[in-house]
Amino acid sequence: MKLAFYDDFRLGVVQGNKIVDVSEVVANKSSLKPNDLINHIIENFQLYEDPIKSSAANGDPISITQVKFQSPLPKPGKIVCMAINYLEGGPDSKMPPINGFLKSPNSVAGDDDTVNLPSAKASIFEHEAELGVVIGKTASNVGRSTAYEYVFGYLNVVDISARDLGNPPYDSYFPIKSWSNFAPMGPYLVTKDEISDPQNINVKLWVNNKLNQTFSTSSMAHKIPECIEWISSITTLDPGDVIATGTNHLDLGPLQDSDNVEMEVEGLGRIHFKVIDHLKREWPRETRADKAAREAAGS
Amino acid sequence: MKFATFNDSRIGIVIDSAIVDVTEANLGINAVTAQGLLNGIMENFDSLRTKLDEIALSGSRVPVSSVKLGPPVPRPGKIVAMAVNYMENGALKEKPPIHAFLKSRNAIIGPGDTIILPKSEANVFHHEAELGVVIGKEGTNIAVESAFDHVFGYMNFIDVSARGLSGGNFFWNKSWDTFAPIGPYIVTKNEIADPQALPIKLTVNGVLRQELSTSDMAHNVAACIAWISSITTLDPGDIIATGTNHQGLGAIQDDDVIEMEISGLGSLKVNVRDDLKRQWPTEIDSTFADRMAGRA
Repeated sequence: MKLAFYDDFRLGVVQGNKIVDVSEVVANKSSLKPNDLINHIIENFQLYEDPIKSSAANGDPISITQVKFQSPLPKPGKIVCMAINYLEGGPDSKMPPINGFLKSPNSVAGDDDTVNLPSAKASIFEHEAELGVVIGKTASNVGRSTAYEYVFGYLNVVDISARDLGNPPYDSYFPIKSWSNFAPMGPYLVTKDEISDPQNINVKLWVNNKLNQTFSTSSMAHKIPECIEWISSITTLDPGDVIATGTNHLDLGPLQDSDNVEMEVEGLGRIHFKVIDHLKREWPRETRADKAAREAAGS
Repeated sequence: MKFATFNDSRIGIVIDSAIVDVTEANLGINAVTAQGLLNGIMENFDSLRTKLDEIALSGSRVPVSSVKLGPPVPRPGKIVAMAVNYMENGALKEKPPIHAFLKSRNAIIGPGDTIILPKSEANVFHHEAELGVVIGKEGTNIAVESAFDHVFGYMNFIDVSARGLSGGNFFWNKSWDTFAPIGPYIVTKNEIADPQALPIKLTVNGVLRQELSTSDMAHNVAACIAWISSITTLDPGDIIATGTNHQGLGAIQDDDVIEMEISGLGSLKVNVRDDLKRQWPTEIDSTFADRMAGRA
């Protein structure tokens, strides 16, 4: 099932290129804020799955082009991001140590939203395309063998990053990662039954129609169950929490004024966002790999 | 006014050694959780104030000793903790650059609760006594001059920290479950004349470890709010931990009783449990103190 919020945070189910309003199912929950509502549905999905399905079957599908998607997780309890979690030199790469950081729940943006680059003096702003894992039930000290029982579903996450802000030479993830709208997530949330092998799907990101990032989750260093095991050994994960599983950094590229960005993990739909930079800063439109190749060629 | 949570999910006003339950008071707040009710009270505090004062005066009081106090902010939206934000009793020549990290909201525990040291191979676990600021009003890009408009109140905050974990970033060192004891209550800002002149004390098993003043803070409360909110929106129920003076930190270990008190904010007492029964010196970590003061 593909669960979405659209327009004024109406609950919908996406079917192909159509969306069906299923908000009647949660009509008695109008006092809940959107994120509390989606967390409530996630936590009690066994109660909601059938009513949502039957509401979707009886409703009137309309084209998704007629609606504005909001992020399905507009303000998660927490966003835990894995740091350096891909085998970037191929299968023989050295396994990086497992590591992670927290990103502000207020950094979420939805499909078709705008990312305003802050005026802070970053050396560059980069896109990081990631598979997002959504937690379905409270998880503390979960072993890897049962980790998927705690997964509700998946969604696209772009972990936008401001580099070299002049912070101290130790962990500076907060000012690098937590700016408003630095976590576009969506367009909708896909339940885990629709993704047969989350460790073997393609992740792609385009800037102005040029494909920048393309990699497979098969090259993830610490797989989803290990991430859940490690994170939940430190901090309890709650329904609706998001784990951003990391990116392959080889093809990161700059984000700058008037860029149109699209990102798609196979099976999770495509999220779009626009970039605005009031300072109109410019960076060469090349990925890290392009830049390395150019520098190696001595130009 | 002092707000506490008690007996799982009740909200009360503390008056001296008694508490008045306001959970069922007709405050016009549509909330399903204690945190939701608390956020509603904070957001609408100006208009609710007279009513809350009346309830506090006329409501039935029960002794605080007869209830189980919980963490006064049971489920913050986020915890932003300032890093290296004291002048270390004036030892630093220049203000350190303003800096912060996020601490997991699931780390929260309340008075009388127990810090559980993880089995993870840390070198040591430290207490960090901090002034906790509770946000009452949403804000983005808040100006220094209007920062206190967004503050609801203050509370004791212990930023428990693991040191020396490999990879050792803030998430791993700071976000363990039970690593954020807070309370015993939130004191509304009107009761604290000058948040930058508050003595803070922390003892372990009755022996003094930390003794500092918020006057030694490098970036004051208003500057922290302005800086954080330039990056990420602050919401009602968010917590800012304003940092600690590292002179006086020491190990915490199995069976320790930690007591922290900021003048005017009550006393926060928590226990420590370590199933591995590891042992460290029961004294101030002077090597760490010297390093943080630039003496080593």
